[in-house]
Amino acid sequence: MNTVRTQPDPGNAIMRFLKKRIAVYALLIAISIAVFFLFPYDLGFLTRIIIMMIFVLSLDLILGFAGVATLGHAALYGTGAYMAGLFAVHISASPIVGLGVGALSGAVIAFISALILMRAHGLTLLMLTIAIAEVLKEIANKAQTLTGGADGLSGIVMAPIFGQIEFDFVGQTGYWYSFALLMIVLFFLHIITDSPFGLGLRGIKQSTARMRAIGAPVYWRLVAAYTVSGAIAGIAGALSAQITELVSLNVYDFSLSAEIVIMLILGGAGRLYGALLGTAVFLIVHHTAASVDPFNWLFIIGGLVLGVIFFLPGGLLSFPKKLGWVTTWFSKQPEETPR
Amino acid sequence: MKKTIRTIGLALTLTAGLTGGAVADTIKVGVIAPFSGPFAIWGKQFQEAIKVYVAQHGNKAGEHTVEFIYKDSGGPKPDVAKSLAQELLIKDRVDYLAGFTFTPNALAVAPLINKAKKPAIIFNAATSMITTKSDYFARTGFTLWQVSVPMANWAWDQGIKTVVTAVSDYAPGRDAQNAFKVAFEKKGGKVIDAMQMALSTADFAPFMQQIKDKSPDAVFGFLPVGPPTFAFVKAYNENGLKDAGIKFLGTGETDETGLQALGDGAIGLTTAYHYSATHDSALNKEFTAKVSEMFPGSVTNLASVGAYDGTHLIYKMIEAAGADGAKAMEIAKGLAWESPRGPVSIDVTTRHITQNVYIRRVEKNDAGVLINKEFETVEAVPDLGLAK
Repeated sequence: MNTVRTQPDPGNAIMRFLKKRIAVYALLIAISIAVFFLFPYDLGFLTRIIIMMIFVLSLDLILGFAGVATLGHAALYGTGAYMAGLFAVHISASPIVGLGVGALSGAVIAFISALILMRAHGLTLLMLTIAIAEVLKEIANKAQTLTGGADGLSGIVMAPIFGQIEFDFVGQTGYWYSFALLMIVLFFLHIITDSPFGLGLRGIKQSTARMRAIGAPVYWRLVAAYTVSGAIAGIAGALSAQITELVSLNVYDFSLSAEIVIMLILGGAGRLYGALLGTAVFLIVHHTAASVDPFNWLFIIGGLVLGVIFFLPGGLLSFPKKLGWVTTWFSKQPEETPR
Repeated sequence: MKKTIRTIGLALTLTAGLTGGAVADTIKVGVIAPFSGPFAIWGKQFQEAIKVYVAQHGNKAGEHTVEFIYKDSGGPKPDVAKSLAQELLIKDRVDYLAGFTFTPNALAVAPLINKAKKPAIIFNAATSMITTKSDYFARTGFTLWQVSVPMANWAWDQGIKTVVTAVSDYAPGRDAQNAFKVAFEKKGGKVIDAMQMALSTADFAPFMQQIKDKSPDAVFGFLPVGPPTFAFVKAYNENGLKDAGIKFLGTGETDETGLQALGDGAIGLTTAYHYSATHDSALNKEFTAKVSEMFPGSVTNLASVGAYDGTHLIYKMIEAAGADGAKAMEIAKGLAWESPRGPVSIDVTTRHITQNVYIRRVEKNDAGVLINKEFETVEAVPDLGLAK
C-alpha cells in the first residue's frame, strides 16, 4: 500500500487529500463546538491554548519535520506580537490586516536569522537561536518609547473583525477567531508536509548528507522552512497581542521557547496532531494543577514530562501503540490511514 | 481518526475538573500574583499578609463573608494574567480583583475591569500611569517617583551636590533615574552621569570603577530586589567607594527579605522607602508579631504591607458597597486609615496611596540582626509620577 507522497498524482491529489483529512477536520470542529458549550466560562483559557497550538505547530515544522533544534522560537513569535501590536496602536485596528503584519514580520525576521542559523549545527545552532531571541528582547527593552519596555506595549484596541464581529468580554469572538486560524494553519501545514517540499524536509532530518548527494539544496530548503515557520509563529504572536491587547517583553522569553519544545515533545514531534495534543495536555494540566495548588503545581508538570520522556519517548501520540493495542489503524502514522 | 478521538477524549477528561459554582452572600476576591517561579516570594508575602489580616479581623466585612481565591500568574505574563482575570470574573464570579506584582499584568486586566465594572486593587505594580488606564484601579503599593523624589530632596539637604545615578536598564529603573534627576536638579544639584546597567549584569566592578573616577558626593542606585542588588552592594564596598566617601542612596535595595544576605557590608546604606519592618508603631508591632507567629521564619516587607493595606481597603469597600463596583470605588477615594507603615489615604484623583516616606539607614540591632532604621520622615507624599 503506497502512500500519497511517494507517488504524486496531480489529478486526484486534491480529492485524496480531502478524503484523508476531512474526517479529522470535522472532528476538530466538533470538538471545538463541544468545548465551547461545555466550558463557556473558560474561553479565555481555551483561546490561549489555541494560540499556543498554532505556535507549537510552527515549531513542529522546523523541529519535528526538518529536525532543526531551536531554543529561540520566541524570537519569531515575539516579533509578530510586537509588530501586530505596534500596527494596531499606530496604523490600523483591523485584526485581519494585523495578522498579516504579524505573519510578514515573523517571516522576515525568520528569513534573516535563518541565513545565519542554517549554516550552523548542533550546539552552535542552539546557542545562536537563544542569542537571537535575547538580542531582540534587549532591543524591545531599550526602545522604551516605542515598545513600553518592561511596562509592556499598551493601548491596543481591536476593531471588529471584518468590521462586523466585535471582541466580547467573555471571549467568544476571540475563541472562534483563533480556532478559525488554527484550522487554516493546520490545513496549510498538511499541504506543506504532504508536498515534495515536506518530504524533502523529512529527508534532511534523516540524513543531510544523503539529501545533498541526491542534489537537494539543503540550506535553502531549511531557510524556506524556517521562514514559513516564522510566518506561522508570527501569526500566533499577533493573535496573542490582539487577544491580550498588550505585548510585554515575556514574548521573547527563553522560558517560552523552552516550554513549547516541551509541549511538542510531550505530544510527539514530527506529527502535527502531536503538536495539538501536547499543547492541550500541557496547558490543561498546568492550569488545573495550578488552580488546585498554586504553590507546588510545578511538581505535577515535572512528573508528567519525566513520565512521558521515560515511558513514551515518541510522545503521547505513541501511547496507544505502547499499550500494545496493535491494530492496523493504531500501529500506523495518522497520515497513513487506509483509503 | 479514531486515534484522534481517543487522544481528544483524554484532553476532555482532563478538562472535566474545571467547572465551578458560586455561593450566595459571599463576596469573592480574586488574587492574581506570582506563586511559582523566580518571583514566587511576592505571592507568598501577599498571601501571608492577607491571611494575617483575616486572622485579625475575621472573614466578615459588614454582613458579607469574604473569600479569597488565589491564581498563579508566574512572572510578568500579561496573557496569562488576563485570561486568569477573565476566568475569575466570569466563572468564579469574583467582585474584586487584587494582587498584581508586575505592571504589564495589571495593565492587561484594565479593559476587563472597565467592562465588568469591578475594582482591582494593586498591591505592588509600580508604574505611575497604571491607575490612569481604568477608573476601577486603586493602588496600595508605591511608585518609584514617590520614593525617589524624597531621596533626592533629602540628599540635597545633607549637602550632597553631585550624584551619579546607576540603575538597572528597564522601565522601573529608568523611572527611578528620571525621578531622582528631575528632583535633584530642581534643587540645584547636578547628576554627573546617568548609568543604565543591563538587568543581567552580575559583575558591577567596572561600573563602580567608573563611578569612583567621577568622584561624586553620592551614588543613587536602583536595582530589582535579589541577586543584582546583592552584587551591586558588594561591589560598592569592595571597590572602595564607601572609603572614598561616596555615599550610597537607594530605595528598595535593602528589602527585608534579602537584607540579612547582604551582610555587614550593608550597614550604613541610606534608602528612602515607605515601609520598614521595624517601623516604630504599635500597629506594626502587632502586624509583624502576628506574621512571625503564623508563619515562622517570615518577615514583612513592602509586599506584605501592600497586601495588608489592600485587604483592609477591600474590606472597607465590601462593607460599604458589597458587590457594587462603582460605589465601592467612591468609598475607596479619600479613605484614610492607620497602616503598619503609618498614616495613609487613597488620593481622590489618582487612586494611589498617599503615605509617609521614611529616610532609613541599615543598622544592626541588639540581636545582631540587620534592620532598616527610620530616622527621618517626609509626611504624606502622593504619587509624584503623574504630576511631573
